[in-house]
Amino acid sequence: MTTPKHMVELRDACMQFEEKKVLNGFSLKVEPEERLVIMGQTGSGKSTILRLILGTLRPTSGSVFFKQFEITRLPRRKLQQVRRHIGMVYQYSSLLSSRTVRDNVALPLEELTDKSRAEIDKIVDEKLDLVGMKDSKDLLPEELSGGMKKRVALARALVLEPELILLDEPSAGLDPVIASVIDELIISLSEKSKVTSITVTHEMDSAFRIATRMGMLYQGKIIEEAEREKFKQSKNPVVAQFLSGSTEGPILEGSLDAITKK
Amino acid sequence: MANANPPLMVAQGIGQLARNFLREVGGVFWFIVNTFEETLERIQHGRVPFRAVSFFRHTQRAGVDSVPLVGLVSFFLGLTMALLTGYQLQRFGTERLIPGLVAIGFTRELGPLLTGIMLAARIGAAFTAELGTMQVSEEVEAIEAMGIGPLRFLVAPRMLALFLLMPCLSTVSNIAAIFASSLICKAYFSIAFPYFLDLVKDSLLIRDIITGILKSFMFGLLIAAIACYRGLTVKGGAAGVGTSTTSSVVTAITAVIGFDTLYNIVYTTFYPT
Repeated sequence: MTTPKHMVELRDACMQFEEKKVLNGFSLKVEPEERLVIMGQTGSGKSTILRLILGTLRPTSGSVFFKQFEITRLPRRKLQQVRRHIGMVYQYSSLLSSRTVRDNVALPLEELTDKSRAEIDKIVDEKLDLVGMKDSKDLLPEELSGGMKKRVALARALVLEPELILLDEPSAGLDPVIASVIDELIISLSEKSKVTSITVTHEMDSAFRIATRMGMLYQGKIIEEAEREKFKQSKNPVVAQFLSGSTEGPILEGSLDAITKK
Repeated sequence: MANANPPLMVAQGIGQLARNFLREVGGVFWFIVNTFEETLERIQHGRVPFRAVSFFRHTQRAGVDSVPLVGLVSFFLGLTMALLTGYQLQRFGTERLIPGLVAIGFTRELGPLLTGIMLAARIGAAFTAELGTMQVSEEVEAIEAMGIGPLRFLVAPRMLALFLLMPCLSTVSNIAAIFASSLICKAYFSIAFPYFLDLVKDSLLIRDIITGILKSFMFGLLIAAIACYRGLTVKGGAAGVGTSTTSSVVTAITAVIGFDTLYNIVYTTFYPT
């Protein structure tokens, strides 16, 4: 098997949870420094893709590569080392609820580096400043709003200077202004720090703002993959229906009648 | 069911239960092994496995904060034990056996066992609920995603805290019970404190103390392992955390009593007196 030259590659990945087949021969290549956005319906397996790349889930079959490392075959110790080069922002932020904002952001540095307290504080301040959260560093996650939590989660993901950032619905549930702030942040990171990003979302505005390339996940596979502008004009009926938000089309075929009858 | 064969169904039920039991035992065993492995790997790389502040937070909660409960319950049990056995022994004129009886009973058996049961309920439940909540809110996965070993980071300090604190709490339990029985001996059976102490020293062997201490270490490890294992394997949201917490307490208490029985059988086989 050849070792890929891409930042991330998934080859024929299948993922099944008991009876439910979520991914069915999913293949994807992500080039360095690009901002890929994967769109798809709720529950279509978008978050599963990110978990496969991180190695927190193992595919039922197929392979997942991050640079030259085959995530699916790495022993635990090596996998932990590889994960340090990947930053993940979860849909619900997943901040450690018993630790303050400062301690949440400092955690990877404290646990995985030999930096002194002063150095850690400097980096934490820098990252919190980047996301506009420097004044909230002594607060607990429960004292923050959804948007603030997302920004702290982003700061935590960036603290080890990762080469790849995975974002799970970064702007879901946020007001349009904060959503734009987060999107701009992702774009500026990729442009200034050459960070590659993979975002999964079903928020149209956010997706078109962030993406350099887009993919549509449908029935466990990528059915359309193109540059942002080409994707917008896709003739694929599933993509066209998804982008227009129409109820007519292949996405709800069969199930729409059932919904309206109820 | 028309073709139901009752003996076969009973056998199947027993088989299923046995399989589940063995799966759980195996799960906890490998959980302990993996925690050790992850922690030792970290030490081999010349780094501290977890921060001292994290360890001391758990020792404070599991150990120091449990002293009043353990002390009080053991004190009352010591009182009751001395009083009830004392009246029976008095009928034969052997009430001077009370100090030895309570001292041996607690140091060898009741001290570690009672402490184990109390800690399984008090701390085991707390560990399971805490880790279970972290698990359902994806905090554990976030820790894993950062490249931090969750077993080393979350489980190891809890396990070590309970492992080291359990013998200390057993000792508190023993002292509280012996002190309580000395009060009963003085008040009801006219055994003065100096004589009480002489009787305790005469009857208690170093072997009894070591047996109790060794047991306590194992109880601490078992309770922490079961509680953390249940916490990290929670499924089903908030309801799942509740179910796992109940299950953790029941399993830990059963495991402590079961292990104690096994320990006593092995011990009395090799040291019958």
